[in-house]
Formats: sequence, C-alpha cells, structure tokens
Amino acid sequence: MSGSGDVQRFTFAERVTHWVAGLSFVFLLFTGLAFSHPRLFWITSLVGGGSTARVLHPWMGVLFTGSMVVMLVMWAREMGIGEGDRAWLKAVKSYAVHDKDNVPPAGKYNAGQKLFFWAMALLGIAYIVTGVPMWLPGGALGLGPFYGGVVNGMRLVHYLATVGGGLLLIVHVYLGTIAYPGTLRGMLHGSVTGAWAKFHHPLWQKDQSGP
Amino acid sequence: MAPDEGVPAQAAQAPQGGLRIRRISATPGHSLELGPDGAPAPRTGPEYAKLIDISRCIGCKGCEVACKEWNELGVEPTENFGSMQSHRDLSPDTWLLMRFNEIEIDDDLQWLIKKDACLHCEEPGCLYACPAPGAIVQYENGIVDFNQEQCIGCQLCVSGCPFDIPRFNPESKKVYKCNMCVDRVEAGLEPACVKTCPTNAISWGTKEDMQALAAKKVAGLQARGLEHATLYDPAGVGGTHMMYVVPHGDQLDEYDLPADPTAAPGALAALGGLRQLGASALGLGLLATALHYLGFGPQEPETESVGTDATGTGTVTAGGGTVAAPGNDSGGTEG
Repeated sequence: MSGSGDVQRFTFAERVTHWVAGLSFVFLLFTGLAFSHPRLFWITSLVGGGSTARVLHPWMGVLFTGSMVVMLVMWAREMGIGEGDRAWLKAVKSYAVHDKDNVPPAGKYNAGQKLFFWAMALLGIAYIVTGVPMWLPGGALGLGPFYGGVVNGMRLVHYLATVGGGLLLIVHVYLGTIAYPGTLRGMLHGSVTGAWAKFHHPLWQKDQSGP
Repeated sequence: MAPDEGVPAQAAQAPQGGLRIRRISATPGHSLELGPDGAPAPRTGPEYAKLIDISRCIGCKGCEVACKEWNELGVEPTENFGSMQSHRDLSPDTWLLMRFNEIEIDDDLQWLIKKDACLHCEEPGCLYACPAPGAIVQYENGIVDFNQEQCIGCQLCVSGCPFDIPRFNPESKKVYKCNMCVDRVEAGLEPACVKTCPTNAISWGTKEDMQALAAKKVAGLQARGLEHATLYDPAGVGGTHMMYVVPHGDQLDEYDLPADPTAAPGALAALGGLRQLGASALGLGLLATALHYLGFGPQEPETESVGTDATGTGTVTAGGGTVAAPGNDSGGTEG
C-alpha cells in the first residue's frame, strides 16, 4: 500500500488505541441512545438484546476510558495549542468552506483536531463521573445508595455529553473519510501520501525527512 | 362501615378491576414523557389499596411467611442481630420485611414496626426512571408490577424509588419487589399478607374505602391519646396503594418512613424533553454533514490521489488544489 512518497503518520500502537476508542465509542453511543429513547430501544437487538447491552455498556465504557487515557499519554504533548492554532481557529470559517488559501498551514494536527481531542477527553471525564453511579447504583463504591435526584441528574448530564460526543463523532468521521480522501489510510495502514501531508499538514510534512 | 376484610365486595368488582395498564415504562406516550402525552390512561375500574394499621401489629411476621409462600420465594437464613427482625434487609427473594425499632418515647419503651415493602406509588419513580419498554407497568387498580422478561437489569428503578424497595439479583440480573400479589388480586382475592394477618392489622379494599377506614382508625388512636397519629399516604408520590396508620406520626424517621418522598421527575422530565432535542441535533448533524459534502465535495491534493485512494474520485483541479465554493462548481470538482 505504501508508495515511494509516503509518510508515516501513525504508529501501530496509535492505530490500535484509536480504533479501540473509536469502536467502543460507537458501541457506547448507539446503546446509550437506545437506553435514552424508547423509539431507539430496538438498537439493543443489534447487540443481543437489552440485558446484554446493559451488561456490555459499562465495560465498553471502561475500555473507552482506558484507551482515552492511553491517547492522553501518547498525544497530549502533540495536542498542545499554540499561536499558530489560534490563527487557524480564527480562519475556521475559511477552512469550513474549503477556502484553503486563507487558512494558516497546520502542523501534524490542526487546531480543530486538537480541540476535538481535548473535547473528547473532557467528555470522557463526564461519562465516567456520571456513568459509574449509574453502573453501581447500590453504592458499591461505599458511598451508600444513589437515590432519585442524584442519579436522574447524572443521567441528564450523561445524556447531554452523549449528544455532544455524537455530534463530534459525526464531524470526525466525515472529515476523516469522504471529506478528505486519503486520510483514513493513515489511521488504517499508518502512512499517508506525501501529497496528502503537504496538502493538509504542510508544516508537519516539512519536518518529515522523506526519501 | 367498610369491613376490614372486604373480600366479597372486591370479588364482585374484580372483573372490572382487572389489569388494564395505566402506565408502562419507556413506551412512547407513557412514563418518561411526563408532559400531556404522558398522562396516564383514565381509570375504568376500582383503585385498590392496602392499609397497614401499625397500632394493631403484634410483630408475628406471619405476613412475611405468607408472602414467601404465595410468591414461591426462596428461603433465606434468618439472623439474630439483637432485634426481633427476621432479616437485615429486603432482597430479591424477600419482598416483605417487618422492620423493628425499639425507642423510648415519653419515657416509655415503644416498639415501632414498619411493614417494609413496595408502596405502589400513584406516581411511581421506578417506572418513570425505567428505560426498558414494558419492564414496569402500573395497572389501573394501582399495582406497580415489574416484568422481569423485559427488565434489562440497569437498576435505574432502584435509584428512582424514594423508598429503597427494589432489589437487584446479580445472578439473574433482574430487579424484584412486591407485586401486591397481582395474580390474587386479578382473581378477586386479597394479597397473601392481608389474608394471613391474625390481628387484622392489614386491610384491603378500594383506596377510597381504605382512606375512610384510616380516618376512623386515626381518630380512634387520637382519642386514646396518641395525638400525632396519622395516615401515611404521601402526596409527593401522588399517594400510595399501601398506606400506613402511624401511631406516632411525629416520629416518621424512627419508622424509616421518608417525610416527603417524591418521584423526582424533575431531571427525568427535563431528560424527556431534551432527548427529543438531542436526537434531533444528531439527525441535523448528519444532515448538515451530507449537505456540506454535496456543497463542497471532497478536498484532496490533485496529484497522487488518482489510483491510490479508495474513493478513486480522479478529480482534476487547477494548480492550487482548491475546490470551488458551492454555486461556483465549474472549477472542476467532482462532476
């Protein structure tokens, strides 16, 4: 798959971690939506029924949280937001309409990708903080039973975070696939074409000492 | 006067007082939709209630045994922990527990007993909280029943209950509680605990009759000097279908009865409204993405993309790799 001008973008470990997070998140999103709305409950039949969905949902949450932690360790430094990112964000409207000439060149990640990363990290915290009491309502954490208003309120926050994460996922998948052809292979095979790198991440491409 | 044991009267009413569903969990138009759409089905038959006259209870626990027997619940070893109480807590196999509390009131030893079991709220917090369609139903006769076949074991009912009644069985991953012997009631019989009580401390009949009976009992207790005697039928949950005549109504805490329980529908009602917005937001997100794609198309470097990339668009654009804006797509975007 790799050609002469290809540039390595993601290591094997990065790709595995990304897909663990991605697939677990999709599972969580769809089963969560099933729990949130009676008209979407049928989604649970895709994963073996309501009971199975309920058993798997929190464990998938553990998997997602774990992969999120690994991603934080791997990528937190690369995701730091700097001056160039602020300039990029100011030009986000031009970016959105593909007016590339008016968008400052990006490094390995553009500011949008960095914000997506940090938004998912924050949402991940919201999911786990509100999710654990719903997982173990009997007070298995030694905090006593979680009653009424507490869990109902947490359910509300958990749901709002889900909608936020779902919207981010839609944009993320769109941009990573059909909007920018050639992007997905970076996360599947690890490498992207030199032309792709130069086109989307010119500052990063300059740093690569390609053959 | 309404008899304490109104069995013949109920038997006559039973055919109409059957199991029409009043509320059902996680079903569009019901339960979580607490707005106008979620209004319960109107009653067409009688509303029943169980009345526990705590002042007449002698603590024999015959009702506990009757409950286990009728509902074929597993026997659990009793434990002596310095109380007359048989078990420490309710369980998936113990739907009824007589809780004993010995305290001093006015220099007099008092033996406070509470029949701990589902109160069958008119506004059932468990049912409102349940996300599994049909796992919790409220019949129009007032009984709130768990349907374990539909239960997904999420235990949100446990958190939704203001009385801490439902119990989760980690093996079956289902939640259980008193069903008011719904099979007996359907057949025109009183619940097993009512039938077995040797002192008539438990009465059964229409909610109206039980309220009237309670008023007489309360008046009688007050005449005997128990000035705080009261009926426990908390309004915060719309009233209950198991009510208590409480001799020491100023000591609800000591009976382990919450003074002001609510079905806590606030956050749930908000969730009911927000999830419509949320689902719409996600749908609009998908739509916006599709429109963006149709309007702006894919963006990629013009060289090397041909033949290497799965979508294989083969787009050829002018030098800079920019793509025309919508309405001006003569620039050679995907055509």
